[in-house]
Amino acid sequence: MENGADPADPLEREIARTGRELAAAFPPPLRNPVRSADARAMELAAGDAELKAALFRFVDVAPACRSLDDLARHLTGFLDEVQDAPGPVAAARRIGGSRAGRAALGAAAAGGVRHMAHRFIVGETLEDASGTLKRLWEHGAACTVDLLGEATVTSDEADAYAARCDQTLAGLARIASRWPGRDVLERDSLGPLPRANVSVKVSALTPLLRPDAPERGREDAVRRLRPLLVRAKELGAHVHIDMESLDSREAVLGVVLELLSEPDFRDGPSAGLVVQAYLRDSGQMLEQVLEFARSGARTPPLCVRLVKGAYWDHELVLARQHGWSAPVYEDKAECDRNFEALTRRLLDARPAVRVAVASHNLRSVAHAIAYNRAAGGEDRDLELQVLRGLGDELQEALARHGHRVRTYCPIGNLVAGMAYLVRRLLENTSNDSFLHARASGVALDELLAAP
Amino acid sequence: MSAAPEPGIAPPPPFRNEPPLELRRAPVRAGLAAALEQLDRRLPIEVPLLLGGDRAGADRAELHSTDPGEPDRLVARAPIATVADVRDAVAAAAQAGRTWSRVDAGLCAGILRSAAAWMRQHRLELAALALRECAKPWPEADADVCEAIDFLEYYARGAVALSEPRHLHQVPGERNEMRYVARGVCAVISPWNFPIAIATGMTAAALATGNAVVLKPAEQSPGCAAMIAQALAAGGLPDGVLSVLPGAGEVGAALVRDPGVQTIAFTGSQQVGLDIVAAAAQLAPGQTHIKRVVAELGGKNCVIVAADADLDEAVPAIVASAFVYAGQKCSAAARVLAHEAIADALLARLAGAVSVLAVGQAADLATQVPPLIEAAAQDRLRSSGEQAEREGRVVAVAGPVPDRGWFAAPTLVADLPAGSELLSRELFGPLLTVERVPSVEHACDLIDALPFALTGGLFARDPGTVRYVRDHTPVGNLYVNRTITGAIVGRQPFGGNRLSGNGTKAGGPDYLLQFVEPRVLTENTMRHGLAI
Ligand SMILES: Cc1cc2nc3c(=O)[nH]c(=O)nc-3n(C[C@H](O)[C@H](O)[C@H](O)COP(=O)(O)OP(=O)(O)OC[C@H]3O[C@@H](n4cnc5c(N)ncnc54)[C@H](O)[C@@H]3O)c2cc1C
Repeated sequence: MENGADPADPLEREIARTGRELAAAFPPPLRNPVRSADARAMELAAGDAELKAALFRFVDVAPACRSLDDLARHLTGFLDEVQDAPGPVAAARRIGGSRAGRAALGAAAAGGVRHMAHRFIVGETLEDASGTLKRLWEHGAACTVDLLGEATVTSDEADAYAARCDQTLAGLARIASRWPGRDVLERDSLGPLPRANVSVKVSALTPLLRPDAPERGREDAVRRLRPLLVRAKELGAHVHIDMESLDSREAVLGVVLELLSEPDFRDGPSAGLVVQAYLRDSGQMLEQVLEFARSGARTPPLCVRLVKGAYWDHELVLARQHGWSAPVYEDKAECDRNFEALTRRLLDARPAVRVAVASHNLRSVAHAIAYNRAAGGEDRDLELQVLRGLGDELQEALARHGHRVRTYCPIGNLVAGMAYLVRRLLENTSNDSFLHARASGVALDELLAAP
Repeated sequence: MSAAPEPGIAPPPPFRNEPPLELRRAPVRAGLAAALEQLDRRLPIEVPLLLGGDRAGADRAELHSTDPGEPDRLVARAPIATVADVRDAVAAAAQAGRTWSRVDAGLCAGILRSAAAWMRQHRLELAALALRECAKPWPEADADVCEAIDFLEYYARGAVALSEPRHLHQVPGERNEMRYVARGVCAVISPWNFPIAIATGMTAAALATGNAVVLKPAEQSPGCAAMIAQALAAGGLPDGVLSVLPGAGEVGAALVRDPGVQTIAFTGSQQVGLDIVAAAAQLAPGQTHIKRVVAELGGKNCVIVAADADLDEAVPAIVASAFVYAGQKCSAAARVLAHEAIADALLARLAGAVSVLAVGQAADLATQVPPLIEAAAQDRLRSSGEQAEREGRVVAVAGPVPDRGWFAAPTLVADLPAGSELLSRELFGPLLTVERVPSVEHACDLIDALPFALTGGLFARDPGTVRYVRDHTPVGNLYVNRTITGAIVGRQPFGGNRLSGNGTKAGGPDYLLQFVEPRVLTENTMRHGLAI
């Protein structure tokens, strides 16, 4: 579809219809006062770059602070750097001037950060999270569990992460076996789908990843991922390998393709990888993946999760600093068009792959659903995925309309979760983001227009 | 230099740093091996002794550079300059300099920029040579070439700007003008650890401002120096403006003492640097100038890790700062000063990260820690390691280490007593110490007690901590929440204070001032009561 696609085009009409139908199924906004305070803070931050920087730096350091006083000092330290501070910020600064004030401010801020974190992180441990995961399932959303952790810089840390993944696979398989049957979530036209689904990061499986020498990190990660695949196969669980920044893409892709080519894994476990549509060369990467999927004749087929990509700012800054051409699209509409083009390419490539479209953008999601139908596909052969805390409303709407939706559920403690949390907050307040546009009241028709 | 714009010379585009190779892309990496093979076929390089416009050296004793990872591999062969060569080279430079100093600044700039273009065309070959001659792994060797290109481009532009007359206060009946002119002959004595960048940088600064140069490259890297001379010649540098005198310390010492030398640009060890400062202060018969010394010496660089630091970020950055190029950078991290609240966690994570460092040949992209430059360095580090074991606790050692080549195992040391000289002596190798400190203030006091003040690092998230450390440490380059090596031309003017150097800041806006002398012209414009 080209820019400014004809709204009379049948596919466009179907996209608009699907989008409006989903929007109508969004739950009404919550009346929870704390949540709306969150939303206000984010709104404030989205409108003021300096304030945004200050708040994010605070959220980032909060778990490393040793006392409420320390917390408050950090907060006021960051806020001091904001010029023309809006009212609430000036007030916080004033309160931070006294010891008693700092204790109060520290407590309030700690509460704020914890609250934000809980929105995106389902629990510290799998046990903590099990209630939420079950409720999700009962409400028509499957999950994929992600284990938050500190960066892996040593072999011990890589081993510990692998062990946590192993325990999580087993624990999740056990928990999930007690969930009630949900046909939409457990089966597509190619066969059964695992209930237990874990998302794994290669960068956590090895301390040896280096952009200019992918082989060593790749071998080390393969060594730790192999037993996890064996375990997943035994348990009938799914393992999804997340994609991270471009610096590690070659290693990550190498790890997945190498392991899934091994004879032991020809008939399982169910596994998947991620393609990031914000990369200018993502089309080529997808072709490489499809070629692999077609040639291998693995069962079950590889699941490809299509995302736009979570490291957009990082990729752009890194490229600018080095004088390299940007590896990502710099125009949001171009990125969105590529996402749609890759969506179609993927859906057309079935049954060699299973397709998961991960987006909170109603247009991108409606496009996937409408194209799938137009191409004669069944709804159950398209999985939609959202992030916990960002896509909750979309998840509900999709579930209500009988789509298979899977929610990405991070588990871990606050310290470990900060990098994740900050990225999600950035995503939520980015001026180019769909969620921001929707929250600031852009009309539905405009939101659903072709990019 | 005259400021008159030469017709037909277009002003250069704004400066921009040369982008390093994007080695994360497989096709970019794929070209490297072939470049190295091609270079290997031309080894050893025959380095000429460039004396004035002539290539001399047929009957001189020879100097050999070899591959530190494969000491049997001869990389370059160079005639060793004699004392007479030094005298002749300085005289020839003085002669050539008289013309060169009058060449329009824009024209000089054009020559330097053409030399940069030549380096760009030959960048893989240059990097391969730095790799072979000095065991610089590819990313480091490539960065060395980029920095050399940056210096040429940056100083070319800076010299043009400097050639404009300075604004002075004017009153009726009088015209005042201040211009900068070349100081004369500049002796450049360059190190092996940035064999292309630093030699090129010091040479380019002197040339751009109209000085003739006598370059004495490190005896470990004559091959790289020969290629720099080749680049400048290809760029159109007139014969005789640059002489290259290979040799060891004696050649440098003779050069420094020569009465015809006006400026000495030196980068290297503190000992040699201080000797040069002393020698330059001795007036030799026939000398007409107060010699100026530009000295970039060593460091004992500390990294403070505050209680609120992000260790995920600190650990990899510290390890890279200490062990990349086997710690053989004057900017490299030597001491970590860790706040006691996070010291144990930091030490444990550093230990794990050090123990998985890949030690190996520079040509292997997987290598993080290449061999040291020479056998003497290996011996030095070995005994430092033994000393560390006696005085403190060796927490981690990376291995295995190849037994051929001048390898030293990356080592992490803790629990050294406060007075240990391992905490004050520059080791210039892969040994990092960690100390526990009660506060950031205390860490700053420890740094302030050192005679060195080159680079420093801080990991902290509180803006107040950043300000405090900035205001209480004397280092020339303080890096916050990142590696402390890898200064980039135009972005991080580089160099130390105290006994680490005289603060001249290579790659910065003021560097060229070291190579010029100011002259003021005051003209009475009043004739018969009329101010014209
Ligand atoms: C289940 C799930 C799993 C995920 N797994 C991964 C993963 O493994 N790896 C990963 O990287 N991400 C992953 N993501 C994150 C995902 O990349 C982001 O959530 C997603 O990019 C947000 O896009 P959107 O379609 O929801 O929103 P939109 O608002 O439509 O798009 C925002 C995105 O557009 C891109 N963008 C922003 N500005 C510009 C611009 N100026 N020009 C071009 N492009 C721009 C960025 O990618 C940004 O994230 C996952 C997301 C989900 C839901």
